[in-house]
Amino acid sequence: MHGVKRVRETPEAAAAKKLREQSKIKEYLALNDDVLAKHPTIGLAGALDLTTRILQINPEFYTVWNYRRNILLQGIFPERPVEVILNKLAPNLHLTGSSPKEINDLLTDDLSMTTVALKMHPKVYWIWNHRRWCLENVPDGPGTSTEGDVNGWRKINWDKEMYVVDKMLEADSRNFHAWSYRRYVLARMPVARPEAAELAYTTRKIESNFSNFSAWHQRTKILTSLWGSGTLDYSKSKEKGKSCVFWDDKDVLDREISIIQELLDEQSDRCMESLVHYKQLLLKNHASSVDAASLTNDCRCLLADLRVLDPARRRRYEEIGEWGAVVEEY
Amino acid sequence: MSTELLTSLHVSYIQNLGKSTDDLAYHLTAHLRLNAIYWGLTALFTMGHPDALDKEDVIRFVESCWDEQAGAFGAHPGHDAHIHATLSAIQILVMYDALDRLDIPRVTKFILSLQQPSGVFAGDSFGEIDTRFSYIAVNALSLLGRLDELDRDKTVDYIKQCRNFDGGFGSSVGAESHAGQVFPCVAALTILDRLDAVDADTLAWWLAERQTPSGGLNGRPEKLEDVCYSFWVLSALAILNKVSWIDAEKLTSFILSAQDPEKGGISDRPGNVVDVFHTQFGVAGLSILGYPGLVDLDPVYCMPAPIIEAKGLRKGWKGLERRVLVT
Repeated sequence: MHGVKRVRETPEAAAAKKLREQSKIKEYLALNDDVLAKHPTIGLAGALDLTTRILQINPEFYTVWNYRRNILLQGIFPERPVEVILNKLAPNLHLTGSSPKEINDLLTDDLSMTTVALKMHPKVYWIWNHRRWCLENVPDGPGTSTEGDVNGWRKINWDKEMYVVDKMLEADSRNFHAWSYRRYVLARMPVARPEAAELAYTTRKIESNFSNFSAWHQRTKILTSLWGSGTLDYSKSKEKGKSCVFWDDKDVLDREISIIQELLDEQSDRCMESLVHYKQLLLKNHASSVDAASLTNDCRCLLADLRVLDPARRRRYEEIGEWGAVVEEY
Repeated sequence: MSTELLTSLHVSYIQNLGKSTDDLAYHLTAHLRLNAIYWGLTALFTMGHPDALDKEDVIRFVESCWDEQAGAFGAHPGHDAHIHATLSAIQILVMYDALDRLDIPRVTKFILSLQQPSGVFAGDSFGEIDTRFSYIAVNALSLLGRLDELDRDKTVDYIKQCRNFDGGFGSSVGAESHAGQVFPCVAALTILDRLDAVDADTLAWWLAERQTPSGGLNGRPEKLEDVCYSFWVLSALAILNKVSWIDAEKLTSFILSAQDPEKGGISDRPGNVVDVFHTQFGVAGLSILGYPGLVDLDPVYCMPAPIIEAKGLRKGWKGLERRVLVT
């Protein structure tokens, strides 16, 4: 099991633990049977309550999450059978199952319940899924299309969701569930956040921990999108006048190589690897405007050093060195 | 610390898993039961003990997980059908040469019904999407001989959109590269003969960088090593014919050091509690690394290679040559 230390127990201690577990097992199995039996006599509220109880013990029980959603979708939200009959007998009663406000309240409750569960189980897929389902089912309201704000409830819930994601990423800045969910919320929220705000968020995350690769990744996506839409503020960019900065642009590569060269003494193996990468890109994409023999020789020397400094990946350095030799023959 | 694979301990550890009904953890993991049987059985086949479980018992249990309403398998009797449990059921039946016990047309229909307009697959009727589910669909349809019914281009298209600048793949479009997603994406593309959609050099570089100074592999940059990545990373390296790009000896030692030398089983890291998931992926990693005495594990299907070869499904992957144990 992920991250759980193995402890040595005496046979007596193990037996005592087993004994203590027996009552818990009995209780859990009884609850399990009650939930899965789906007794019609228990009523919708009773059934919903049973699912809450077992999901609090075992949030990975996907069948129960499905059951819970079906109780809401097919039982609590729509017109109940008894209401269908009453409406037929007395049409002016207008019984309609749950009102939009009641539905919104139920979904808000489920979002709160799963917020608590997420704090304890931040990497359980099923909890994150249930939240998506809740958000996607928030009804129109409290206003209508002609009066008030028809998206009011949605705005409140989705805004709150951004807050929850921020908190989850404060607790674990590399949680990939939280990052994926963040992208989902950003893409779907009723009032879109400007991408510049997300770029600023990644800056903050990186500044607080430079090794946060998840934030760097997010930045690659945001920057690509900003470049694509032409909305990046080039007045603040050193690449003034360029519509797009290509990763294999010769000027960019030359500049990178000179910067890394200066850092070579501090982080030798990482820097060497980058130098080889950029120099090979120059050889590959700008063969006519570079000194191929000298670059090939640089790569060969760097790779020889890397084989010694980073022996685990020795074979890779040998193989990409062979590629360098092929270039030289041309 | 063990320096050899404790095969007989691991075999009895797996055999005893089904008898642990007095453990609370056994009941709390019922939603993974069919997956757990697949993990255990694959490890047993790889260690050369295919008969260690009662075949007829296991097949009957698989059948008892059938969800008649959905036309597929749940992870446990009474649980809802899910694409993951369904693949495990199919893999178990294939290993036991018992596909004749399966309603292939219905299962095929269930799997195909989960493809979304974007091309990705959902796990079940509630629609969680993930490239892992795309792989599961491709793997299952291939094992069932029904790949011709799949919209291949749409499936490949979605996976391609999940490729990042570092050569890796994420769980959905825009998601960070993760070794646990690289395996399913690369293996799905391999089954569909579309490895052209992989930037092999960049990806193999990223995969090689997953080895940490301990010898173990991590799933993403700046994360801790974990035995299960021995498979997620190595499988993709084997498919790209680049297993030699990491230090095999150090990884072998790391996996062996995560064994429980008293009760058997392998854990995520040395000294932690073992489970059948890490036992399977530890053994799988050792097989790809050419560990002596093990059966070849097919890294594309994550099943014993002789079974995949017999079905004519073998692709062009390459692990390290099987070593002979020097005693």
